Amino acid sequence: MSVLSPSRDGRRPTAVPSARTAPSGRARRAGPRVGRPGAWWALPALAFFAAFAILPMGLVVYLSFTEWGGLGDPRFIGTDNWTRLVGDPAMHRAVVLTLVLSVSSWAVQTPIALLLGVWAAGRQRNRAILSAVFFVPLLLSSAAVAIIWRALLDPNFGPLAQIGPLIGMPGLDLLSDGAAAFGVIVFVTAWQFIPLHMLLYQGGARQIPASLYQAAEIDGAGRLRAFWHITLPQLRNTITTSSVLMVVGSLTYFDTVLILTGGGPGTDTTIVPYLMYRVGFESYQYGYASAIAFTLVVVATAVSLVMVRLTGFGAMRSTREGM
Amino acid sequence: MTTTSAAPAAPARTAPRRRRSLRDRPNPLAGLGALAWLLVVGVPLYALLVATFQQTEEYRTAGPLTVPADPTLDNYVGAFGSGLITFVWNTMLVTAGVVAIVVVLSVMAGYAIVRSRTWLTNGFFRVFLLGLAIPSQAVIIPVYLIIVQLDFYDSLLAVVLPTAAFALPVCVLILTGSMRDISDELYEAMALDGAGAGRTFLRLVVPLSRSGISTIAVYAALQAWNGFLFPLILTQSAGTRVITLGLYEFQGQYRVDIPGLLTAVVLATVPLFLVYLVARRSLISGLMGVGGK
Amino acid sequence: MTPPQRTGTAAALALLLMTATACGGSGSGSDSGDGELNVMMYQDTLAVVQHNAAERYNEGADVRAVIDEVPGDGYDDKLRTVMGSGEAPDVFFNWGGGSIEPYVEQDMLLSLDDALEQNPEMEEAFIPSVLDAGKIDGVQYGIPLRGTQPVMLFYNEQVFEEAGVEPPETWDDLLSLIDTFNEEGITPFALAGNTTWTQQMWLQYLVDRRGGHEVFQRIQGGDFEGWRDPAVLWAAETVQDLVDRGAFGDNFASVSYTEGGASALLAEGRAAMHLMGSWEYSTQLAEAPEFAEEHLGYTTFPEVPGGEGDPAAVVGNPTNYFSVTTEADSAAAVDFLKQTYTQEYVADMVENGEVPVTTNAEELLDNSPNPEFARYQYELVQEAPTFQLSWDQALPRTAAEPVLTEIDRLFNGQTTPEEFVDALAALQ
Repeated sequence: MSVLSPSRDGRRPTAVPSARTAPSGRARRAGPRVGRPGAWWALPALAFFAAFAILPMGLVVYLSFTEWGGLGDPRFIGTDNWTRLVGDPAMHRAVVLTLVLSVSSWAVQTPIALLLGVWAAGRQRNRAILSAVFFVPLLLSSAAVAIIWRALLDPNFGPLAQIGPLIGMPGLDLLSDGAAAFGVIVFVTAWQFIPLHMLLYQGGARQIPASLYQAAEIDGAGRLRAFWHITLPQLRNTITTSSVLMVVGSLTYFDTVLILTGGGPGTDTTIVPYLMYRVGFESYQYGYASAIAFTLVVVATAVSLVMVRLTGFGAMRSTREGM
Repeated sequence: MTTTSAAPAAPARTAPRRRRSLRDRPNPLAGLGALAWLLVVGVPLYALLVATFQQTEEYRTAGPLTVPADPTLDNYVGAFGSGLITFVWNTMLVTAGVVAIVVVLSVMAGYAIVRSRTWLTNGFFRVFLLGLAIPSQAVIIPVYLIIVQLDFYDSLLAVVLPTAAFALPVCVLILTGSMRDISDELYEAMALDGAGAGRTFLRLVVPLSRSGISTIAVYAALQAWNGFLFPLILTQSAGTRVITLGLYEFQGQYRVDIPGLLTAVVLATVPLFLVYLVARRSLISGLMGVGGK
Repeated sequence: MTPPQRTGTAAALALLLMTATACGGSGSGSDSGDGELNVMMYQDTLAVVQHNAAERYNEGADVRAVIDEVPGDGYDDKLRTVMGSGEAPDVFFNWGGGSIEPYVEQDMLLSLDDALEQNPEMEEAFIPSVLDAGKIDGVQYGIPLRGTQPVMLFYNEQVFEEAGVEPPETWDDLLSLIDTFNEEGITPFALAGNTTWTQQMWLQYLVDRRGGHEVFQRIQGGDFEGWRDPAVLWAAETVQDLVDRGAFGDNFASVSYTEGGASALLAEGRAAMHLMGSWEYSTQLAEAPEFAEEHLGYTTFPEVPGGEGDPAAVVGNPTNYFSVTTEADSAAAVDFLKQTYTQEYVADMVENGEVPVTTNAEELLDNSPNPEFARYQYELVQEAPTFQLSWDQALPRTAAEPVLTEIDRLFNGQTTPEEFVDALAALQ
């Protein structure tokens, strides 16, 4: 892992003039063709990505029209899987749960991450120390986080068994009640991912020109007004990026659900990716599972396209990532 | 990204030192909020650490929110006998493989996308953009089939290949961003020296993209270290088990010995934590970069 | 693999070769017809019995038996992968019933009817009800290789003594015990609801006691309308009644069996009873040896009101089976199967704490680590008119998993008994 050695502030060799002299990306002057790389430089990456993401995408579509249990050949059955999917109550429940999970994750994580990020963009020393603690959950895998919380929330063999009676709730058990278990998933994923989004907002807030605040101060604006009229509008791009990452990310909170609740109690936390896993890898209905998977992709793509529209990635501009 | 030095890992684009403006003054309300979050994050982490020094009995009766009356190292001693070393080693191999593939491929791709004059690369770029939207969960079934067909099932390679592939889009985007910051004049100077694409790449692009490269290395390493789905589906024997899967197995192995289980969780995080201590700045700026895309 | 699939894979392969100079696969499986008999075996502490059998077999045979052990978790998936990839083993461990049905459908398994006809001693070696459970559509595809695993009611004798009560014999006994223990603040029945198949045991016994063995036989035969049998609805209503009465406490949904939660509750006296497969005894012996030796009681599932089923019938896993694939050298494979009822093999099983399903096991049971328990179990199975395989093993996996899910929903009050029956009948 030597690549992780400190990057020495990313400082450039001294001979290099400041990087921002040329307008970035757009309107490049037609330089000489010499020394330009051919398109084949990008081919290995593209081919590699195609082999494991794009080709499988095609296979998912193909498999969704077949019946296949992993033995022999897939049998073409037309749109049977799709009609089944439309009428499958398990799928309806999973879709609703997934959407509710996305929305509630976003609603919980965004405000907290934004406020923490803006706060951390300040420059006092104690922030550094606190930030250091905040980042620890980022180092833990989803599997580890789920295991930790499962242990802490165990009603029989965990701290809950002692805390419950203290607060007048013996038998306090969050994982046996559907709504509570769902809340636990929202909370645990927030606990895990807020630090990441906090970083994004911190980076975004750092880049707001101080002159804007100085101007506001001259106008006599208070802290709240400055936040409302300067900070938030300036963070618009960051909010979009972070929101999309959250929403697409929440479509795949699979590890957490598998370990923490197993989709239960009953099916109260069975979100679409988990349902797909059970149908595909526990009941060997690869065809039907592919139809479920494709639904997941459609949702993810739709969200991402909206993101591309909003952030103007398509125009091939680099966003301001401060690299 | 220390909050004391004024230069984050960024090109010279931070504003010059300024007098303490609104946002640099202490904000008691925000401070309180941060403190609240500190509790939300800190208490579980504290409980986690305390539990690892408790005997199962004490954990069950006194709970991990106290100070252990009789701290013990037994859990740590016991954890080393459970195959943890193998799992960590496998995870390191996977991580190294993923980082190597991702760095080489995305640096080349980024260079082509930024500098190539063909319409092709524009299309390539869009492919990677769209690729961002493909969740790995969605294609796990065909990936599983492909891995089985290639006879890689239950090998570390089975985990490395798809993990690297799914880290590519984000990494290519981060790199194209940072490579665009290299000015045209420098490229032209290289061209005047008669340097071809290969030499320009090695002498100019790679050195100047160092911070971007460390960012993607960090990102890829985190993806590989914490990946769960690919190992879950594509491997199954103890010899190829990675740490996330190992922890999942431990749940059944340790049964109600929760301190033992949590100790394994802590130990599994130690390597990453050491990296964090050494390369905190690169890690943080790297993660910021993921968001910037 | 159909052509489109194959070209896709070939393309992927070509791309991979371009991008990754990787080599070395998993190298699982091997060719048959190379003088080796590949035996795929579930890996656990008991597999030593099969290893010894292979050694004995190899002394006299010109074909060598090679045991390939696969870790328990994911055994089923691995088997499915290997069978699908054209590198099937010659002989493999399984649970019989639905767990091997897909392979029968694909004509991958050898019918053992001829072998039984030519070797009458093979048929006589096993308890009939157990051997029958190795049949699919009346054709024998599996030969028993392990001990029996009936589901029984375990209880904590200490807790019962302190409460001054006896283990339940009738349904009314059971209901009054629920009230008694609830008043004492003890969970009447430990239930690991986080591990869904534990809930299935309850429903399965209730259906079997109420409607008899035939109710599920019909379903297992592929007629899912069989779920509409009144016994199923009654069982579902009874489950709901039990949950409402607090038979399983409040937090059974977050108790896991594989993580040892339910067993620990019983051993610690926080729960009074536990309906579980006979392996619960070994689990307790490993985790709470003192409790297992001193205070672990066991009894049968009580009769139910209006029950048409035989109260002596049992459910669970009759045993595990060896099946033979069509790839195998059939004569060599059948010879290998003859190992499973030799004196040495059976003695080996008994010493490892198993209760064999062979007719010659009885005199050997005294060598068991716990002869009393072994004898009880043996007689339970021997006298059982029927021994019904666990539903999730009896049904093909495509149906088993949704059935477990619906049972889980029933226990958690997310469906009514009527909806439960409708959902099961609607499965395909």
